[in-house]
Amino acid sequence: MRLDQLAVDQRIIAAVTRVDSVGHAPEPFPILSLADFLSEVVAPTSLPTARFSSVPELFGVPALDLQRLSGLSRTDVQLLLSAAAATCRPHPAVSAVNYGGLASNLRLSVGCPVLDQLLRGGLPVGGVTELSGESAAGKTQLALQLCLSVQLPVQYRGLGSGAVYVCTEGSFPVTRLYQLISEQPRLRTDVPESVVTSLRFSDQIYVEHAADLDSLQACLSRRVPLLLARGLVRLVVLDSVAALFRSQFQADDWLERNRQILRLGAKLQQLTSDFNSVVLVINQVTDVFDSSNRTGPVMPQVVPALGLSWSNQVLIRLMMRRLQRSVHRGHQRSAVRQLVVEFAPHLSRGGQEAAVWREGVRGLVTVSHGQDET
Amino acid sequence: MQRSLLSLPLNFSLRNKLFNAGFRVIADLQRLTDSELIHEAGVSQQDVLELLQAVRGEGGDAWSSSTSLELLQKEGESRSIVSFCSQLDEALSGGVPVGKITEVCGTPGVGKTQLCLQVAVDVQIPPCFGGLGGHVIFVDTEGGFLLQRIEDIAAAVVRHCSLLVEDDEQREGILTFTVETILSNIYVVRCNDYIEVLAQLHLLPDFLLEHPRTCLLVIDSVACPFRHIEVVSQRTQLLQSLGLQLTNLAIRYNLAVLVTNHMTTRLQGSQSQLVPALGELWGHAPTIRLLLQWLNSQRVAIVVKSPDHMEAIVQYQITSDGLRDVDESV
Repeated sequence: MRLDQLAVDQRIIAAVTRVDSVGHAPEPFPILSLADFLSEVVAPTSLPTARFSSVPELFGVPALDLQRLSGLSRTDVQLLLSAAAATCRPHPAVSAVNYGGLASNLRLSVGCPVLDQLLRGGLPVGGVTELSGESAAGKTQLALQLCLSVQLPVQYRGLGSGAVYVCTEGSFPVTRLYQLISEQPRLRTDVPESVVTSLRFSDQIYVEHAADLDSLQACLSRRVPLLLARGLVRLVVLDSVAALFRSQFQADDWLERNRQILRLGAKLQQLTSDFNSVVLVINQVTDVFDSSNRTGPVMPQVVPALGLSWSNQVLIRLMMRRLQRSVHRGHQRSAVRQLVVEFAPHLSRGGQEAAVWREGVRGLVTVSHGQDET
Repeated sequence: MQRSLLSLPLNFSLRNKLFNAGFRVIADLQRLTDSELIHEAGVSQQDVLELLQAVRGEGGDAWSSSTSLELLQKEGESRSIVSFCSQLDEALSGGVPVGKITEVCGTPGVGKTQLCLQVAVDVQIPPCFGGLGGHVIFVDTEGGFLLQRIEDIAAAVVRHCSLLVEDDEQREGILTFTVETILSNIYVVRCNDYIEVLAQLHLLPDFLLEHPRTCLLVIDSVACPFRHIEVVSQRTQLLQSLGLQLTNLAIRYNLAVLVTNHMTTRLQGSQSQLVPALGELWGHAPTIRLLLQWLNSQRVAIVVKSPDHMEAIVQYQITSDGLRDVDESV
C-alpha cells in the first residue's frame, strides 16, 4: 500500500517521504543546525534516512527512530503507526472457538485410513510437512499418492484441487503415476467408484523441474503461486530439498547456505499460509556425526539433512524407514516400511508399519502374529 | 531532573520555543503551571500535553517513585500461571509470572508450543479453583496452533477441575468452565512476517480495551519471523525495540508475556554449541528464560535465567492431555 493512501494528515505523510522535510515550518534551531543536531543527539545508525515509499517500511524501523528521523511529534508518529498497523495487520484476532470453520482445521488424507489414523486425519494446512528417509524408503510413493488424494472432494478428505510436483533431481516417475491412477479404485475403497473414475487425475498434476536454488526460488515465486492463486492446486510437493544444497555450497560457505535455507523456508511457509495449501517437502537423511545435540529420546543413526536451521522451519516431521522384513499378498511382495511421526504439535510420537503395493502405500494392520494383512 | 530538554522526543518547533524561553532542563518546567508555561514559552495547550507525555514516557513517572518496600509488597501480590507440571511451577515459584516476559527456547519437537498451549488453557482456570480466570491473545507465526491439540488440553484441564469440586462456588464455577468457553477466550492471530507481528502488537492496546480480562500474550514463535530479516543491523534494532515494547505491554497492562525462541548453532573454534537464536541483545529482553531439551531420553526444562530463582533442572513429559510431571510410579 502506498503511504499517501493512509488515513492520516498529509503533513505527517510528507514528513516521512521527504528527507529534508521537517513536518511543519522548519525553524532554525538556535545552536545546532539540523544535521549537527541529528549527529549529536541521535546515535549514528546504518539505517537509511527518513525516506519511506510503502506502508510496511514504517515498521522496519523502531518507533523512536522514526520520530527522530522524521522530526514528527510523538502523537503524530503514533497516529501514523496506528493507521499503518490497521492496513498491515492481516485480520483481527479470531476467537479459537471459530477456528473450526477455518482452513487450519482441514486435513489431507494420505489415502489409507490406517496411516490417516497415525496422522489424526492427514496432513494439515498452514504449516510445512517434511517427509525424510533413506533412498527407496517409499517417500516418493507416498507423495504421488497424496497428489491423487488431494483431488478427491473435501468430504472424502481430499481438497478438491490439484497438485504441483516440483522435481529437483531425476525425472518425474510418470509410469508409476499412471499405474497408481489405474489402481486408485482399488486403494480408495472408502470412496464410491463413480467418484474416483470420474476424476481425470493426470490433468490436475503439474510437474515442475528445478535443478538449482535460483530456479527453485523462481519457480516458487512465480509459477507455483499462480497455480495456487487460481485454485488449480492445493498441494505443493518438493522432491527433494537436500540435493540442491549439497551440491551448491562448500563447507565454509555455511553462512550463505543457512541464509538460503531460511529464505526457502520462509517462501514455503508463505505458500502454505497465504493460500491455505498443504506443502510437503521430501528430504534425505545423513549419518549422525554429532552425538551431543539430541533432538529426540533415542539417539538415531540417521537424521534429516540440512540441520537445525531447516528443522526450525518445519511444523511436522515424518520419517519413512525401510525395515528388513517383507510381506506377501497374493503374488505381490513388499518390504515393510515404517512411517514415523518425529514431531508435530498435535500428534504423539509414534509409528505405523506400511507396505508399498501396486495400488500404493497402505498401512499394515497386524493380525496377531506372523504374516501381516492389509 | 537535571535531564536536558534536548534529549526528549519533541518536535523541533516546540523544542525551539522552550529553548528560546530559557528552559534547559526538566526541572525548569516543574514549578510552573500549565497556563504559566503557555504564557512564558508561547506554546499551545496541545504542546504542553505532549511535553508532559514525553517527560513521563521517558522517565517513567518522573515525579513519583516507589520505595523498595512498596515494590516488594507489589511482588507478593503478583500472580503466576500454572503449567500443570508441578515441578516446573515450583522451580518458577508458582508458574509463568504475570507482568514479566518469559522465554521458552528449545529444538524442534521438544515441547515449546505444547507449553504455550497448556499455559493458554491454564490461565483460564477460574479463581475458585485457584486460577486467574484470564483471557489469552495468541500470536501464531508458525501454524502450530492446531485446534485438535488445544481441544485435547482443554478437555483434560476441565476433567481435572471437575474432580476437584468441593463447595458450591466451585460447583458453579465448573458450569461455565467448558472446552467451548476455554476456546472462546483464546484469541488467535496468524502472522506471516515480522511486519504483521509488529502491526498486531501496535494495535494490542485497542484490543486490550475491548477485552479487559486478557492477561496472557503468547508469541509462538518470535524467532520465526525475525530470523527472516536479512540485514543484521535492522534485525537487532527491531528486536531491541520489540523487547521494549513487550516489556511495556507486560507492565502497563499487567500481562504475562510468553514467547518461544529457536535454537541455533554457534561455532567456537572447532566446537559447536546450541544457543538460543536472535542474538545476545535480544537475550536481555526476557526476564525468565527456560531451556527445553532432551537429556538421556527424557525431556527436561532448565531455568537458565531468572532474577528470583536458582538455576534448576526439571523433568517433564508431554502426554495426550498436555504438559505433565514425569510419573514417579512408572
